[in-house]
Amino acid sequence: MTTTVQSVAAAPRQASRPARRRHRENGTGWAFIAPFGVFFLLFLIVPVVGGIWLSFTGQTLTGRGGDFIGIANYAEALADSDMWRSIGNTIWFTVLSTVPLIVIALVMAVLVGLGLPGQWLWRLSFFLPYLLASSVVSLFWIWMYNPQLGLINSFLGFFGGEPVAWLQDPDVAMIAIVVTTVWWTVGFNFLLYLAALQNIPEQQYEAAALDGAGKWRQLFSITIPQLAPTTVLLVILQVLASLKVFDQIYQMTGGGPGGATRSTVEYIFEAGFTGYRFGYSSAISYIFFALIVIVSISQFTIMNRRGARS
Amino acid sequence: MKELRIPIGTGGVLTRRSVIAGTAAAVGATWLMTNLSGCAVVGGAPGAIPLKFWHLLSGGDGIKMAGLVDEANSQNPSFFATQTVLTWGTPYYTKLAMASAGGRAPDVAIMHASRLPGYAPGGLLDPWDLDLLAHYGVTEADFPAPIWNAGKSEGRVFSIALDAHPFILMYNTDIAAQAGVLGADGQLIDISTPDQFVDVARKMQAVTGVHGLSYGYLGDGAQMWRLFYTFYKQLGATMTLEPGTEAVVDEDAAVTALEFMQLLLDDTIATASGDYATALAEFVNSGSGMFFTGVWELPTMVTAGLPFDARTIPTMFGTPAVYADSHAFVLPHQNDPDPVKREEVYVFVSQILKDSIAWAQAGHIPAFLPIVESPEYADLLPQAHYANAAEILNYDPQAWFTGSGSDFQTFFAENVQSVLLDKTDARAGFQGFVRRLNVLLSKPNPV
Amino acid sequence: MSSQLLIEERSATSAHPPAFTRKPKKARITPAGVGAVLVLALLAIAWLVPFVWAVITSLKTETDAGSTPVTLVPASGFTFDAYAKVLGEGNVLTWTFNSLFTSVMITLITVVTSALAAYAFSRLDFSGRRWLYAVVIGAIIIPPQVLIIPLFYEMLTLGLVDTYWGIILPQVIAPAMVFVLKKFFDQIPIELEEAARVDGASRLRVFLTIVLPLSRAVLAAVSIFVFIAAWNNFLWPFIVTNDTALMTLPVGLQTVKSAYGVQYAQSMALAILAALPLIIVFLIFQRQIIKGIATTGLGGQ
Repeated sequence: MTTTVQSVAAAPRQASRPARRRHRENGTGWAFIAPFGVFFLLFLIVPVVGGIWLSFTGQTLTGRGGDFIGIANYAEALADSDMWRSIGNTIWFTVLSTVPLIVIALVMAVLVGLGLPGQWLWRLSFFLPYLLASSVVSLFWIWMYNPQLGLINSFLGFFGGEPVAWLQDPDVAMIAIVVTTVWWTVGFNFLLYLAALQNIPEQQYEAAALDGAGKWRQLFSITIPQLAPTTVLLVILQVLASLKVFDQIYQMTGGGPGGATRSTVEYIFEAGFTGYRFGYSSAISYIFFALIVIVSISQFTIMNRRGARS
Repeated sequence: MKELRIPIGTGGVLTRRSVIAGTAAAVGATWLMTNLSGCAVVGGAPGAIPLKFWHLLSGGDGIKMAGLVDEANSQNPSFFATQTVLTWGTPYYTKLAMASAGGRAPDVAIMHASRLPGYAPGGLLDPWDLDLLAHYGVTEADFPAPIWNAGKSEGRVFSIALDAHPFILMYNTDIAAQAGVLGADGQLIDISTPDQFVDVARKMQAVTGVHGLSYGYLGDGAQMWRLFYTFYKQLGATMTLEPGTEAVVDEDAAVTALEFMQLLLDDTIATASGDYATALAEFVNSGSGMFFTGVWELPTMVTAGLPFDARTIPTMFGTPAVYADSHAFVLPHQNDPDPVKREEVYVFVSQILKDSIAWAQAGHIPAFLPIVESPEYADLLPQAHYANAAEILNYDPQAWFTGSGSDFQTFFAENVQSVLLDKTDARAGFQGFVRRLNVLLSKPNPV
Repeated sequence: MSSQLLIEERSATSAHPPAFTRKPKKARITPAGVGAVLVLALLAIAWLVPFVWAVITSLKTETDAGSTPVTLVPASGFTFDAYAKVLGEGNVLTWTFNSLFTSVMITLITVVTSALAAYAFSRLDFSGRRWLYAVVIGAIIIPPQVLIIPLFYEMLTLGLVDTYWGIILPQVIAPAMVFVLKKFFDQIPIELEEAARVDGASRLRVFLTIVLPLSRAVLAAVSIFVFIAAWNNFLWPFIVTNDTALMTLPVGLQTVKSAYGVQYAQSMALAILAALPLIIVFLIFQRQIIKGIATTGLGGQ
């Protein structure tokens, strides 16, 4: 993170600190902040605080049960096997999707970075899906996965394979979702890798070439190590994004079959809107938030330790 | 920012331009087509009040409903109803609740009557004005009492049923004739015990060489529940779900029902592991002689040209009973309903009820008695052969979490599927289901 | 692939970078190079197939789209029927308008408020600046998904469920964009502003006439990022809109079904139509969009 933030915002010169100024500009300062501040307060601080309050009540969608009930919701959630299953599914999705999203993006970037003909086509093909709304992606892939009419099963059938119920079979549904997710979002990682490739100093390759290192060798001794900061960054982004997965799962399987793909955010949605229980759903939201904070902090800690070492 | 040099494609400018030009042309054509067909978008006579109508019917039912809406619109130039179809089951009911809570809900919607306890008491629905309804020719006397009463909550009427759609027994008349199980009237012989049913099924199996009976349930809680609840109620058992107390159930009756289902799913009478689509296909392709299914599959059989008839599921355990639900019209809660618009909704609903002979063609038993008692309906076969189901129908036990497409059925599936598929202990499976219900009942009722 | 040279340069002393660059001048294609092209081509095909298949399906009749075995060229030829039907129903245009309107509003409000706040954090000395900035930066970690229930509850209280404002307002807070903009403003040499200040120009005037013109690139990047995120956002618009006349494209596409059952050709035509606007915008502003996503997307996270 630090590395990239610096690369994004590294100042040509150290910015002058406002503290240098003699007189303070309280009126002007707050006036500039005000428009943002009002929205920030109304639609971020209020829901954050309100959500904490809700999580200690039995509030429902129909407006009933707004009384304070202490930590009952949290106690119930921690004993709720459905919640733990959804967290398990979410982590499973994260594990399954992160590795291909990094490795395939790297392969794509290195190959495109070779400068082969057809640059425009490669870049467009890999990046275009990233621009699609989740609903479009889901429609495309529900169709691809259709057990009788889908292209994938037709393809398998052509080689004598048995049709697979991609989204209906609890054993493969999550894998199907991961494949779709990789197709959809790998373009972003690809783009960042490609950008990072351009920043590797050419002299390093020249020096290696002089030392007699082949191109294949250069890939492992220069390119991949030089891309390490990008890789770390992408892993962090990817893990945080994957933990919040909702759209494509809700749209493609609705969390099914039998809850096999239900993610935590989907469980929050269902507990609140299908089950009407705003209070309980808020409690799950904050347990989930705590999980995200823990993951973020541990990632930053690991990364900083790595950064300090190198 | 400067440090991040993003490589942009170098070659292929011409290609890119041509692609852009191509897409631009496509967009232009798109706009043109839209403008040409634009007049079709806004429908109805000038001054017609637009009505937003939500439902969850798709496929054969959806086409019939679209026809009914078109007919109602053309009969009544004062309004123009537009139907919006949402995904059947949980997505539909979740959105309906959210829309009603938000107060800007659609003007009228269709719900399963069994879902009423999850909506009406919480103020998510507005009650019907019975006087206004009577003014447009729809009164309590026009409905069978159990169907009408299913629309009541806390003494007020929240839903007006369009139909009853019971779980029924379809049978292939050719196979039944060969098996010698047709009576003199050309219909299936009387069956009044489980043994007789098994006997008939075995005879049909001997004819088809595959199975005697088709019944799909794998991964489908609704299907398991429909047949189970039919047998359970035939055993004279009841199920009472009162929040704050434990579920009151008849465990012995449940075990009897489940064990009979296990008996049927023996891979000879019926396949032990059929899902909905497989069972449907098997019956359509004459792989079996009988089929436990909902009335809504009737158009499928007609389309397939199958020689078939249908009847109410025979009473095998003493008490005549079948599982059923109703599609019913409701008024989703609006904070600020427009009285003129509301009145048009009454016109709309009464019109559809009066036209519901068309709905009967889709297999459903119309709830509106003037239709059921009409000669046209008596001539409608095989619909008339199961019309008596309306007198013995049973909706889901009432609770905020039960009903068609609810979690209740999912919980049933989670506990009972292994009983049916792997023939695990029926009592243990049912007890697991009851435990799950008790967890739900121990929580405060959110409605 | 073998471990030999992927691409051999003609001249070893070439000034051009030897490998992994985008412009290999006069490269001689080796077998390994051919292998690389093959792998790339396979990947590209895999990535394009869902698109192409959707387009092909959308150009079939419903009967052809729903018949087995699956064919590339349909029995009754290609047709625009599915598009005509889908457009005839009118929903797509309503949804496109809603997407455009809400995304533009969200982008405008976000960019204006974030830029003002970022400038204040960067240049103005006022009490509370430090902790306020800390709060804003800290808020980056809050996933919007966590707030769906309290936000919906708030919208119920404010009576904003099923309104445009209900869609727009909760999406205009982008602490990450404040961060990106502040970092940029920090880099602008302060001397430029001080000269104007000496001449008696107000802070707002300095901001509008000096800072903003210098920040065109970053503002464009932020705008693009916010716009695309808003255009494609699903969860919040899905929660706050039930009225089909107010739905955005992603929400309408997911929520509203056909009464006639699953219509394969029509649903693919819908998907293509929904994807088209952003794809066209992308083809035109490729350079800016890629830059915008890479820079702000990163800074944002």
